Amino acid sequence: MSCGYEEELTAYVDEELPPARRAEVEAHLGGCSGCRGTEALLRRTMEQLAGLPEFSPSPDTRREVLAKVEALPLPLRERLLALLRPAVLVPAASLAAAAGLALYATAPSEPDLDVLDAGTLELAMNLEVVEDYDVVGLDRSEDLEVVAHLHELEEVQ
Amino acid sequence: MPRNFSGAVGFDVSVEADSDAQMMLKVAAGDRRAFAILFDRYHTSVARFAFRFVGDRERAEELTQDIFVKLYRNAKSYRPAAKFKTFLFRVAANHCLNEVRRGEYRVAHTTTSEREEEEGGGVELAGPEGERPDQALAAREMERAVGEALKAMSERERAAFTMCRFEGMAYREIAEALEASEAAVKSLIHRATLAVAKKLEELQAGPVPVRSRA
Ligand SMILES: [Zn+2]
Repeated sequence: MSCGYEEELTAYVDEELPPARRAEVEAHLGGCSGCRGTEALLRRTMEQLAGLPEFSPSPDTRREVLAKVEALPLPLRERLLALLRPAVLVPAASLAAAAGLALYATAPSEPDLDVLDAGTLELAMNLEVVEDYDVVGLDRSEDLEVVAHLHELEEVQ
Repeated sequence: MPRNFSGAVGFDVSVEADSDAQMMLKVAAGDRRAFAILFDRYHTSVARFAFRFVGDRERAEELTQDIFVKLYRNAKSYRPAAKFKTFLFRVAANHCLNEVRRGEYRVAHTTTSEREEEEGGGVELAGPEGERPDQALAAREMERAVGEALKAMSERERAAFTMCRFEGMAYREIAEALEASEAAVKSLIHRATLAVAKKLEELQAGPVPVRSRA
């Protein structure tokens, strides 16, 4: 194993060497039986690996992953956009009620989902006046980023 | 062909690569349908990687779930200039390496093989259809030998080897996924492939005495 080319042989078989280096290794293989033996061993191994039984994951994984992702809150921007779509406009009375709730319910760390949604309603109603976002319980940096770019959101709809 | 592409899905790579990036941008905006599409495209790859990495089916399933939830949560850090699969495997490799370091997932290649053997074997790993019993046995023995070699190598060797041999990823992509230099990856893959080669040689030479090739 003292041959300096031995280290190159896997990359050579994988066709990962730059052309000049590849040519050097090829030339070396002509005169070094040790490296030729290792090269043959590597090629044989790669062929055998191709014959290994295939691993097939359980179909349950899909259902569980999608359920976990479903349980995560949507990004604020998406919730705002959904609210701004006419199809989901809520009657004015409940909007006002939700807005009232939002003014008082502020969560300091991880905001409760319902409260945050109420805050979202408030934002949707007053896009241009929301500057004090502490009022609506937003504290995640990505939410703040959305708030900072509310005008872009208005253009989207 | 030098690498094992047995699990590759037959789609046009250029078109697919493009829409992966587009899907991922949608995922970043919270589109769960786009996420489900990416999951369907890649979960076999991720599960196979995790399985080769920990050597245990159930743990591999758990890791796969965690990796995809992480992918969803970190979708915003994806930049379309990067190949999606490389990004995904960066998440996957990071997660697997961290979990193993935290000691939650002991690598269990040998115990899995033994259990399969006791249970009458091979149900978890589907072999080619219609193979003869002696072929199935040979495949299981090979599986066990490869599992032992994987277990004995370093985690980074195992990760690099798995991405190279089972996912057909280029050294440059593996380097990105492992946040390593290409030269380092080249040497990881070389050592790992030689280790597996020696195990398979031993298997063919018979159980005892164990002869060294070097
Ligand atoms: Zn040589």
